[in-house]
Amino acid sequence: MDRKKILENGLLEKYLLDELSSLESQEVIAAIASDEQLRTQFELLEEDFERMAIENAISPPDYVKVQLQTKLHKSTKKSKERIWLYAAASVAVLFFMTSFLMFNRWQNTKTNYNSLQNQTMVLQERLNALEENYILTNQRLKTINGPKTIPLILHGNDLVPNSRAVAYVNHENKMVVVNAQGLPELPNNSTYQMWSDVDGEMIDMGLLPTNEELITLKYIDKAESLNITIEPAGGNDHPTVEKLIAYVTL
Amino acid sequence: MPHNLEDIEIISRLSKKDKDALYLLYDKYSGALFGVIIRMCRNQVMAEDLLQETFIKIWQKIDSYDASKGKFYTWAYRIAKNVTLNSLRKPDLLIQSEELSVNTRKATLEPESDFNGLNGAISKLEPHHQEAISLVYFRGYTHREANQEMGVPLGTFKSYIRQALVLLRESYSHELIIIGLLIETF
Repeated sequence: MDRKKILENGLLEKYLLDELSSLESQEVIAAIASDEQLRTQFELLEEDFERMAIENAISPPDYVKVQLQTKLHKSTKKSKERIWLYAAASVAVLFFMTSFLMFNRWQNTKTNYNSLQNQTMVLQERLNALEENYILTNQRLKTINGPKTIPLILHGNDLVPNSRAVAYVNHENKMVVVNAQGLPELPNNSTYQMWSDVDGEMIDMGLLPTNEELITLKYIDKAESLNITIEPAGGNDHPTVEKLIAYVTL
Repeated sequence: MPHNLEDIEIISRLSKKDKDALYLLYDKYSGALFGVIIRMCRNQVMAEDLLQETFIKIWQKIDSYDASKGKFYTWAYRIAKNVTLNSLRKPDLLIQSEELSVNTRKATLEPESDFNGLNGAISKLEPHHQEAISLVYFRGYTHREANQEMGVPLGTFKSYIRQALVLLRESYSHELIIIGLLIETF
């Protein structure tokens, strides 16, 4: 924008009075900065303007200054108070954040604790099972390993070649325990059954499933021999002599 | 821009949030600014509030004052003018809520003549020059509004302003010469 245009359009006055758009203002500011004559002109205008204003000054009542002082004092005080407010707010935020973290940790700990408790329960159950198993095994060992126990081997005949069952007989305790796992497995419709021979009569001692390690059977007094037959599933009242597969004399 | 060294020092203190610096500026300029504000709003109570608001704004915005772009008074004048115009533009809550009340801003306006009178060099100018200057410098009118107020074309109005300013300049420089002569004499 050139000097002539600025002066002719009274743009210095308008700039002084803040009547220009921001774009026009920028242009006038730039022109004043670069043009010495314009600058002098504007400075004189400002001086006259200020002087005229001072000539036409009207003194405000004294209490306006007092009010201003009070207001500023309050606002600075308020801003100081605000600092405390911010500090308090920060502490509160910190507190909530910490609480949140602690809550999360507490929740995690709780979850961990629960899972540990479950693990402990599982371990306890396993321990109980092992203990029971140990007691049972120990009893069995005592049963079959005692000095008064007689182990007897029942060799399979031609019906079940190369097979055998082992019977442990304790006459003192009147106990018979048999391990039939050495016998071949039977179809579902049949089972092994053991008999005691007392004076030529076969007395039922019980069934011999092949899937169990040790089966406790009935002890029969005065038995002369132990006999194993194959019988229909569920057992038989009388032995099927043709299906006698093994025997041992006591 | 040539500046009063005292002003520069006070303004730099004000930038550092020295309240006393604001009060010094108040002592120096409140009369000139109050003269403008009260002529614009023509209400003593309102003008007092607006003067206070103007100085609060000066306090808050002093960092945006750039001495290379003009004198402090020019900057403060613009703030006072904007504060006053904004306040006058605001819908008058009193008028809206209590239309029947007589206690509205219009009703409390002081008689015009109380504040219209001008003093100093300007009062010695022709009435139309006085009015033109008064409208744009003291009453907050834009050039466009002022020429309508005076009922003359914009071009004519602009030449009134220009002539008035030239006469003012002459008057002030004449005074300066007299003061210079007086100083030399004594």
